[in-house]
Amino acid sequence: MTEKKCSCCCGGKKTENGKCAKEVSLAELPVGATARIVKVMPKARGRKKLADVGLVAGTELLMEAHAPFGGLIRVRVLETSMALHSEEAANIVIQPEEKGE
Amino acid sequence: MKSRYRIALAGNPNCGKTCIFNALTGARQHVGNYPGVTVESKHGFFELNGYEIELIDLPGVYSLSSSSPEEEVVFQELTKPGIDLILNVVDSSIPRRSLYLTTQLAELHIPMVLAFNMADDARKKGLKFDIAKLEKYFGSPIVQTVGCKADGIKPLLKTLGTALENLETHGVPMLSYGADIDDAINAISEKIDALDLTQYKHIPARFFAIKLLEHDTAAMQLKEFEPVHSEVEEQICHLLDKHAIEADTFMADRRYAMLSGACRDTITMTGERRREISDKIDMVMTNKYLGLPLFFLIIYLTFYFTFICADPLMGYIEEFFGWLGECVCRVWSPETLPYLRSMVTDGIIGGVGGVLVFLPNILFLFFAIAILEESGYMSRAAFVMDGIMRKFGLQGRSFVPLVLGFGCTVPAIMATRVIESERDRKVTIMVLPLFSCSARLPIYALIIPAFFPLKYQATMMWVIYVIGVAVALIGVRIMKNTLFKGEGEVYLMELPPYRMPTLKSLLLHMWDRGRMYLQKAGTIILATSIILYICNTLPEKQVFSQDYDKMASAISAKLESTPESNKAAVEKLEEELAVVENAKQAEMLEYTISGRIGHLAEPLFRPIGFDWKLATASIGALAAKEVFVSQLGILFAEGETDEESVPLREQLAKNYTRLQGFCIMLFCLLSIPCLATLAIIRRELNSTKLALAEAAGLFVLAYVTTLIVYQLGMLLGIGV
Repeated sequence: MTEKKCSCCCGGKKTENGKCAKEVSLAELPVGATARIVKVMPKARGRKKLADVGLVAGTELLMEAHAPFGGLIRVRVLETSMALHSEEAANIVIQPEEKGE
Repeated sequence: MKSRYRIALAGNPNCGKTCIFNALTGARQHVGNYPGVTVESKHGFFELNGYEIELIDLPGVYSLSSSSPEEEVVFQELTKPGIDLILNVVDSSIPRRSLYLTTQLAELHIPMVLAFNMADDARKKGLKFDIAKLEKYFGSPIVQTVGCKADGIKPLLKTLGTALENLETHGVPMLSYGADIDDAINAISEKIDALDLTQYKHIPARFFAIKLLEHDTAAMQLKEFEPVHSEVEEQICHLLDKHAIEADTFMADRRYAMLSGACRDTITMTGERRREISDKIDMVMTNKYLGLPLFFLIIYLTFYFTFICADPLMGYIEEFFGWLGECVCRVWSPETLPYLRSMVTDGIIGGVGGVLVFLPNILFLFFAIAILEESGYMSRAAFVMDGIMRKFGLQGRSFVPLVLGFGCTVPAIMATRVIESERDRKVTIMVLPLFSCSARLPIYALIIPAFFPLKYQATMMWVIYVIGVAVALIGVRIMKNTLFKGEGEVYLMELPPYRMPTLKSLLLHMWDRGRMYLQKAGTIILATSIILYICNTLPEKQVFSQDYDKMASAISAKLESTPESNKAAVEKLEEELAVVENAKQAEMLEYTISGRIGHLAEPLFRPIGFDWKLATASIGALAAKEVFVSQLGILFAEGETDEESVPLREQLAKNYTRLQGFCIMLFCLLSIPCLATLAIIRRELNSTKLALAEAAGLFVLAYVTTLIVYQLGMLLGIGV
């Protein structure tokens, strides 16, 4: 049997339950992919602010777009589009989810 | 029963709060600033069942933490006594997000009414609410509204009325953070109750216990609660050890969990979720390749609308003030109080009229900005521009005000309100005067052709503008490393769905800004016009070095005897007459306060290549930069001058070197544009100290830079 590659392009392998095994940072999530937050690193700046808009462990999010000339990313969290910097997003650990329902 | 009540209006950003505010209060609004910060405060008034209601529009926030100046303001306003009721506007189309703030507001135990706003969007999404259950959950009555169509405002007023009648018997929310955390909260609450703090009697200890437990900076700073800090730390350690709960975010975590549960019980989803039109628009608007060109096009259209469409209106206003001046002149005979007469006609009507001319610009500009903001495009623009602006140490939202700065610094500074970060806003305001405004253009247009050959003229103009921008960007860097040092706030910006702005809110927005501008014109500009007028006319010189009047009447006599058909002779005589009259004016100006200050200041200005004439003109330029040109015109006795005056250019070329010419432009570029700018900086930064520091800083900057350029130029023999 050939190894199934994870379809979320994170480069990770699938586990038995179909979830992507690899945990990556939110900054690495490609546009159009969905993910679930695993944790926000304790060293992250403005953790509380992120938490207040729903960026807490367990929340689902969708990467909507990257801004031109880098820097900003746009994620959909709790039905709202939020723009944040990839530096901050790098401190948010996520688990990409399978595409397509 | 009181006859006057204070209601605080709270809600997330973009929840339609402003629509509700406008619907309730109409035009009875007062806009100001909270002390010490640049956060805008808005109050409105309305009547309800015979009671006078003051509605306080709190800034839009996601939470009651204090992670931004807005949140701190909301925290302070709500914990101060004197709020009778909270009207919480909730975007009911995204309940899980917008009720997050509600959970915290409910903990204040201030009577609350919930407006489930955007009910139409929620319906379209297929959301059904079990209102009765939700009311019980939050302990507050709920009214469904569509703020921007003023739907549901009547029921809302009725509910507010009932709530005000029953302030003593309001409901209690059923909010629980789970046994482990509730134990910690209760332990701290008991300690707080034991402190018996009178000034926070109106707020339950539980609220502060929760805030302290999540290490809220505003709550931690309250001296009154210092005795319980040890207990708080103990509880945090306990939670971490025993339940592996992390201190700063578990509250947010639990609140969202709590809401998920509550929403499951009370909100049902029917029908399918449509892909919103908004997302489709964004596919184009924030597209990686199209986003920037579209942004520049939209900005271009905004400026076109501001400057080209407003132009005819400006003409009317100019004519009106011209007419007004003439009328006053006609009615008021020159014999009665001649000083006051000319002060009113030339000083006041001329000065204030000169500023009011820009009112159409201001109104059109803020109408356009209101469209961009209320439609939701402004945050897209910030999203698209952020990458570029960040390279310069600013953020996306700074772009529009900075570009406006090339037009006029005053509206540009007013437009910085779109910048959310306090630090970036202050920095943007501080460097804005360096963006060469259009009032400096006449100076360049006068100086450049006087000293530079045609083929270098365009380059010189470009050099001047680039120097301004470069100095501004260096200024940003320096300020961010000194005055506004430290890491900025974490950047988090919502991109709300596109919405069609309503005309009413656009007009109200425009009126807000227009009124601010009018107030300024009526106070500071009126005062400066009078002062500068006095400086430029008094004391009046009676004895002249030559008898100009005699010379003038001699020429006039000759003029009358010359037949009109002899055009060349008539023109020559008229010119001679003008020269004589201007020579008289020049002597008069030298004798006035301005002229004397110019002479006094000459030693100071000498090292940068200025003589007393240039110094005098610089003082006059404080009223408006273009006055520099007309002042020079008088001093060089060229009469009515504008930047096209060739004789004035010849005079300048005769009297000054090319290096001096360049230094004039440099100094005008870098020093404070005008007193109106200074006044608006003071207003928007909400600090006289910072405004004065800005003026002094710009003067020093202009002086030192010009000094270096002039002395170096002299040393190396460039342009002398």
